[in-house]
Amino acid sequence: MTTPLPAVSRRRVLQAGGALTGAAVLGLAAADPAAGTPVRPAFAHGVASGDPLPTAVLLWTRVTPTPSATPGSGAGPVVPVDWEVATDDRFRQVVRRGTVRTGPDRDHTVKVDATGLTPGRTYWYRFRCQGVLSPAGRTRTAPADDAAVPRLRMAVVSCANLQAGWFGAYRSLAARTDLDLVLHLGDYLYEYAPGEYQARDVVVRPHDPPREMVTLADYRRRHAQYKADPDLQALHAVAPWVVTWDDHESANDAWSGGAENHTPGGEGEWTSRRAAAQRAYAEWMPVRYEAGGRLYRRFRCGRLASLSMLDLRTYRSEQVSSPVDPALGDPGRTITGAEQMDFLLEGLADPAVQWKLVGNPVMVAPVQFPSTLDARALQGLEALLGVDLPDQVGGLPYNVDQWDGYPAERAGVLGHLRDRGIRDTVFLTGDIHSGWAAELPSDPLTYPVTGDSLGVELVCTSVTSDNLDDIVGSPPRTTSRAVETVIKGANPHVKYLDFDSHGYSVLEVTPAHVQMDWFVLLDRTNRSSGAVWSTSWRVAAGSSRVIPAARRLS
Amino acid sequence: MTAQRPALDRRAFLRLTAASGAAVVLSTAVGIPAARATTGGLRVYVVVTDGMRPEEISPLLTPRLHRLKTEGTWFPSARSLPVMETIPNHVMMMTGVRPDRSGVPANSVYDRAERVVRDLDRPTDLRFPTVLERLRAAGRTTGTVLSKDYLYGIFGERADHRWEPFPLLPVTDHAPDAATMDAMLAMVDRFDPDFVFTNLGDVDRVGHSDLSGTTLRLARTAALASTDLQIGRLVDHLRATGRWERTALVVLADHSMDWSLPTNLVSVSTVLRARPDLRGSIQIAQNGGADLLYWTGPAASRQAGLAEVRRLVAAHPGVASVHQPRELRLGPEAGDLVAYCRAGWRFTDPTPLSNPIPGNHGHPVTEPIPFLVAGGHPQLPRGAVSNLAVRTIDVAPAVGAAFGLGAPRGGYDSSVSADSLRWLIPRR
Repeated sequence: MTTPLPAVSRRRVLQAGGALTGAAVLGLAAADPAAGTPVRPAFAHGVASGDPLPTAVLLWTRVTPTPSATPGSGAGPVVPVDWEVATDDRFRQVVRRGTVRTGPDRDHTVKVDATGLTPGRTYWYRFRCQGVLSPAGRTRTAPADDAAVPRLRMAVVSCANLQAGWFGAYRSLAARTDLDLVLHLGDYLYEYAPGEYQARDVVVRPHDPPREMVTLADYRRRHAQYKADPDLQALHAVAPWVVTWDDHESANDAWSGGAENHTPGGEGEWTSRRAAAQRAYAEWMPVRYEAGGRLYRRFRCGRLASLSMLDLRTYRSEQVSSPVDPALGDPGRTITGAEQMDFLLEGLADPAVQWKLVGNPVMVAPVQFPSTLDARALQGLEALLGVDLPDQVGGLPYNVDQWDGYPAERAGVLGHLRDRGIRDTVFLTGDIHSGWAAELPSDPLTYPVTGDSLGVELVCTSVTSDNLDDIVGSPPRTTSRAVETVIKGANPHVKYLDFDSHGYSVLEVTPAHVQMDWFVLLDRTNRSSGAVWSTSWRVAAGSSRVIPAARRLS
Repeated sequence: MTAQRPALDRRAFLRLTAASGAAVVLSTAVGIPAARATTGGLRVYVVVTDGMRPEEISPLLTPRLHRLKTEGTWFPSARSLPVMETIPNHVMMMTGVRPDRSGVPANSVYDRAERVVRDLDRPTDLRFPTVLERLRAAGRTTGTVLSKDYLYGIFGERADHRWEPFPLLPVTDHAPDAATMDAMLAMVDRFDPDFVFTNLGDVDRVGHSDLSGTTLRLARTAALASTDLQIGRLVDHLRATGRWERTALVVLADHSMDWSLPTNLVSVSTVLRARPDLRGSIQIAQNGGADLLYWTGPAASRQAGLAEVRRLVAAHPGVASVHQPRELRLGPEAGDLVAYCRAGWRFTDPTPLSNPIPGNHGHPVTEPIPFLVAGGHPQLPRGAVSNLAVRTIDVAPAVGAAFGLGAPRGGYDSSVSADSLRWLIPRR
């Protein structure tokens, strides 16, 4: 499937060269057969790459060979699609090429594992179908496992609800030239029908299909709608992505046997719905995963870092009904499943890498909500977390959809870090539509005195999805500040918390430190809104502590 | 338990007055010049801040160490090696080989020949050549200034110049850091060795006994500040005497420290109490965070007996893991099983009262160590952070390479490549 090939034509070079200028360039539109012009394929959903290994990277696109071959339709012919990988953006030095076939059985998506590449190198890639070239994308292989890597820089994003706003966060990131990687921690798309979940009360962009996605065709169409967004396409085209799913890729608060937002019977069996969601995900995402396979996996960046990507939905036990449910402490309950837990612990203990990064869809740091919160704030938090918080007098509630709902397994992970003296572990987290920097106390009782920490958690906020000010109807950075102060007071290991902003994060990893910069969107409902830097927090190597950074990354 | 002192029949003694006014007695191997003309060229000083945790270096508490950390090269991934105890890790620093080649796996072992649990504090316990005598053979001069009695014992007369720790504090059998630094400075001034190996014991010794170790660490904190002062004295002295520009100063710990509550005890003796057949067939060498278990029962029941001991010990909630010594590259001196405790626990054997001290090491949580290379030598990197996975064992090859010394017979057991170590300390 992979052979060297000669240089490409001037015309293709020009088409390719325009793909990296910010707004993505779409492939040629299919001609109208009624007008008598020939039908030509189109690449209407952009190109993408992902899961970089030292000598391989996964390439993705979706071709629309005929106008009727719309996403989810099951219509259209089987067609060959050529692909090529070059060391230059003008495709003069093509180093790999091949041809794959795609058709309605996989919704005309194309996934190629381009192998035989050089570690730590930038490449350009593109596709061709019946003479029509796709936009070009830029990607990069991982460094060799034993390489001394001076720096890794990646975007960190999660929770992009198309109905809640524009993807200005993706556009801002696509304009950067310093990203080795884009890390997406889940909720890449949402299952809801128009009007069910949006920006406060405003549906900025209605979902397609105009109903909650349940069937395979629904999931495919929804993926296609998101992939048609030019800002999302632009970010996919500039760097390889490493992704995992959270719940909304299937349905809200999913667990191994169901989901909060799934009605057995009315919406079919959960296993069927989940299989449809996973199949569409495998088809439409630049990920080395096929339906029914294993999404959790690990990447390396030389000796500098490993990145363990977790799947915290497929194997987990059902969430307990409330934080005071006695089943909470049942050591038999799992959020990872036994095999994935072994995989995680093995990665954390690897002495060959310095930073052990964990792509962790839901928060691992313990968070207790104090009883001094007013009723309005509590209701807002309930809505944000999607859980019912019981009467405050009875105790301190927390979010049972996070690791807080699986305390025995979390104790196992933290005990592993503690007993083995493992340093430089950083959990990178999404899900909660807010920005956090927190330490992981070695012993919560003595932490306020000793400050002994086992690692750090850095949480990026949502690209667009509602957070606390949206839910309670306050202007940004007003009422939420008091809530943040109270929560930080009750949880001294939480160093930074922003319950209101939308945007993205940029993470830098060096032998000396890990630093995350948070950027916030000015207005997610404004298509051309920009993003501004908000704050930066840093973890010095070996410290397991997070402190304010002296300055943002340059 | 009593150390057999090496005979000092081929040494000359010199009594000096330290800068602090205290008397310092150094001994020198016969045939070594009492002094040499001060010449240029590299000087390497390895100072072990015994038992220090890497995060204990901070701008406010240990400003001198923090400055060295930020001005030199800092290794945040540095770790100690099994068993994370003082004697084996000092031996690894000076030999560059693992205990299965040096014969020194722990502080405390069961000596099958003498049928006694004892410290490995005799020169004959160390079976592998150290860089001290190898440098000496190559025409370099070396010195040891070791604050702990058992370190003085095991390294014996390997260095050209050495200091016998004095005054020894009761119970801890170590000399305070101020006295140790007096001796180091006197040795540098009087003999100017190419290489000096120094151990500062206060941080470890105070840490062991700090009853507020799980929370406030009051005594420990005071010791850290005090040890930092001694590091400052060394740097200031080297600067004042014009030596700093040819100095490569390596500061590291041999292991770190973990504190346990009085309730978090693991006693293998107690675990085996219900099985007198097994208890009677096992000898235990307790090393704080690690227990070394030796089968002394009938050979016929050895395999089954050890399997059962392993099962019972591993089931204790305070035990992290149980290993065969060869998994950890420990030799036969380490016995038949090595048990590690979890963080926040400690072993106490042979009785539940044998180990009353809250601060312990030897278990994996005590692997992370501070490790830095500083100094004024112009070829040293400045302000660098390296994620090289250096270990205590990498000191010997780095020091050796700096003086052009090749690997010993059979090579080093370094954890990192020789190329990586070469830039650790500049070539002379």
